[in-house]
Amino acid sequence: MEKNAAPVKTTSLRRRSYWSKAGNIVSFLLLILLTAVVMLPIWWIFRSSLMTNAELYIYPPNFFPSRWLFSNYAETLQNFPFWQYFGNTMLIIVPSVLFGTLTATLCGYAFARLRFKGKSFWFTLCIGSMLLPNMVTLIPLYIMWTRGFGLGNTYWPLILPFLCGGGAFNIFLIRQFIRTIPRELDEAATIDGAGHMRILFQIIVPAIKPAMIVVALFIFVLLWNDLLQQTVYINSPDKFTIAIGLSMFKSGLKADWVRIMCATCLAFLPGIVIYLIGQKSFVEGIVMSGMKN
Amino acid sequence: MSKAMSKKKSIKTSPGAKKEARVAYLCLIPAFIGLTVLTYGPLLAVFIIGFFKWKGLSTPHFIGLQNYIRLFTEDPYFLDSIKVTVWFSILAVVGTMVYSLIIAMLLNMKIPARGFFRAVFYLPYILPAAAVYIGWSWLYETNFGLFNYLLNQIGIKNVMFLSDSSLAVPSLAIIAIWLSGNIIVIFLAGLQNVPGVYHEAAQIDGANGFQRFFHVTLPCMTPIIFYNLLMCLITNLQVVTPALALTNGGPGNSTMFLTYLMYRYAFKSNQLGYASAISFVIFLLIAAFTTVLFATSKSWIFYEGGND
Repeated sequence: MEKNAAPVKTTSLRRRSYWSKAGNIVSFLLLILLTAVVMLPIWWIFRSSLMTNAELYIYPPNFFPSRWLFSNYAETLQNFPFWQYFGNTMLIIVPSVLFGTLTATLCGYAFARLRFKGKSFWFTLCIGSMLLPNMVTLIPLYIMWTRGFGLGNTYWPLILPFLCGGGAFNIFLIRQFIRTIPRELDEAATIDGAGHMRILFQIIVPAIKPAMIVVALFIFVLLWNDLLQQTVYINSPDKFTIAIGLSMFKSGLKADWVRIMCATCLAFLPGIVIYLIGQKSFVEGIVMSGMKN
Repeated sequence: MSKAMSKKKSIKTSPGAKKEARVAYLCLIPAFIGLTVLTYGPLLAVFIIGFFKWKGLSTPHFIGLQNYIRLFTEDPYFLDSIKVTVWFSILAVVGTMVYSLIIAMLLNMKIPARGFFRAVFYLPYILPAAAVYIGWSWLYETNFGLFNYLLNQIGIKNVMFLSDSSLAVPSLAIIAIWLSGNIIVIFLAGLQNVPGVYHEAAQIDGANGFQRFFHVTLPCMTPIIFYNLLMCLITNLQVVTPALALTNGGPGNSTMFLTYLMYRYAFKSNQLGYASAISFVIFLLIAAFTTVLFATSKSWIFYEGGND
C-alpha cells in the first residue's frame, strides 16, 4: 500500500478507468431498459391488434397473443379503407415534399450566397417567422383559401404553402449547410462561365443532399402529424387522409379495441417503412446538418 | 475582423451584381409570397378580425374590444383553457428536455449497435400523432390497459388516466414526451460538436463524470438547449392533436386547450371574429413566453470564445 509515489498514481488512474468502465456498463444497461420502455407501447398496440376481443380482456393480460390473428387486419380493412386514405395522404405529401424541398433550396441558396438589396431585412423576417405559431394564422388562411379562392374540400390549401419556401426553418437549415461549402468551388465555376443557377444545381445541390433529405423528412413529418388543418379543409369521406380517417374510425367504434388497434398499426406502417428505407440518411443527416452555427 | 471586412467588399452596381440580385429575387419569390401572404399578412388579419363580430357567412361588423371583454369576463372555458394549456406545456417541455438530454447522452457513448438504438428513440417521432394518441388511449384504459396492469403489480390500484380530470393532462404530456425523437437527435448533434479537448483537459485535471457533465458538457450545450426549449415551448403551447383525436376537450374541460377552443368556436359554431380573438391571445401568450426566454437567455447561455 505505502510504497513510493509513482505506483500510487497509476493505481488511482487505473481505479478511475475501472469506475468509468463500470459507469459505461451501467449506462448501457440503462439504455437497454429505456429501449424496452419506449418500445413497449408499440409492441402492446401491435399485440392487441392480433388478439380476439375475448383475449384482449383477460386479466392478467398476455404479453404475446395465443394465436396471431392476422385475419383481424382483413376484417378491419373492410370498414377502414386504409389504402384509399393512404393514397389521399400521399396526394398531399408527395407534391408538398417535392415543392417544399425545391423552394427551400432556392431560398436558402439566395440567402447563403447571393448579394442583393434588403437581404438582411428579409432574412430577419424569415427567421422571425420561426417564432410565429402557425395555428394563429389558421382562421385568416381558412377564409382566404375557402372563400377567396374557393378551394374548400380540396388538398390545395395543404399543398400550396409548400410552394412558398417550405417553412422558415427549412430555408435556414439549407442556408446554414450551404455556408459550410467552400466558396472557392463556386468561384472556380464562375470563372469557367457557369451562371448562378448552374452553380446551384451542379455544385451546391450535390453537396447539400443530406440537408435536402432532412428537409424532405421534416415536411413529411409535419404533414403526417397534422390533424387540425386536414380536419378544417377536408370534409367529404372519400377525401379523408389517414389521420382524419383513423380518428373518425375510432369515434365510430367507441370500444372495439381490436379493430381500432389494427387501424392504428396500419397508420403506423407507412412511416415505419419510409423510415427503414431512409434511416441512415435521416438521422445522420440531422446530426450532420443539425445546428451548424 | 479581417474576414468580416473582406466579405463586405465590392457591393457596386456592376452588371454582374445587378444580375446576381435579379437571380436572388427570382429564387426568393416563394419566400416573399410565403412571408407576406401566408405568415405576416394573416397575423395582421387575425388581429383585425378579432375586433369584428363575424358569424358564419354574414357580413362582419366592427365591435371594438367586445370579443376580448367577452373572453375575459363571460366565456365559460377561456380562463381555464389558458391554465390547462400552460400546465400541459410546462409538463411536456420540462419532461421532453430532461428525457431527450438523458437519452442523447446515452446514445452519444461508444456503444454497440448505435444505429439501432438511435432508430428506436427516433421512431415515435415519425408515427402519425393522431394514431399515437389513439393507440396510447388503449394502454391507458382503466380496467384492461397495460399501465394499470403494471401499476397493480407494484400494489397501486387502478388509475383513471384519461377519465380523471386531474390526470388527463399529465397523461397526455407523457405521450408528448414519448414523441420527442427529433429533440433527441438535435441534442445528439450538439453533443457531437462539444470539442473533445475540453473533456480531455477536464479529465487530466481529475474531473469525474458528473463534474465533466456540469462543467463541460452542459455549458457547451446551452445554445442548443435554448433552441430546443424555444421550439418545444412554441410547439406545445399550440397543442391541439390530443384533444382533436382523442379527448374532445374532456373529461370535464380538463383538456380544453386554447387551440382546440379556437377550433371549436371557429369551425363548430362559426364565430370567426371571436375565434380570431382567441388566436391572437395564443399569439400573445407564446410571445410572452418567448420574450421571457430570450430575456433570461443572456445570463445562462455560454458562447464559445467569450460572452460578448
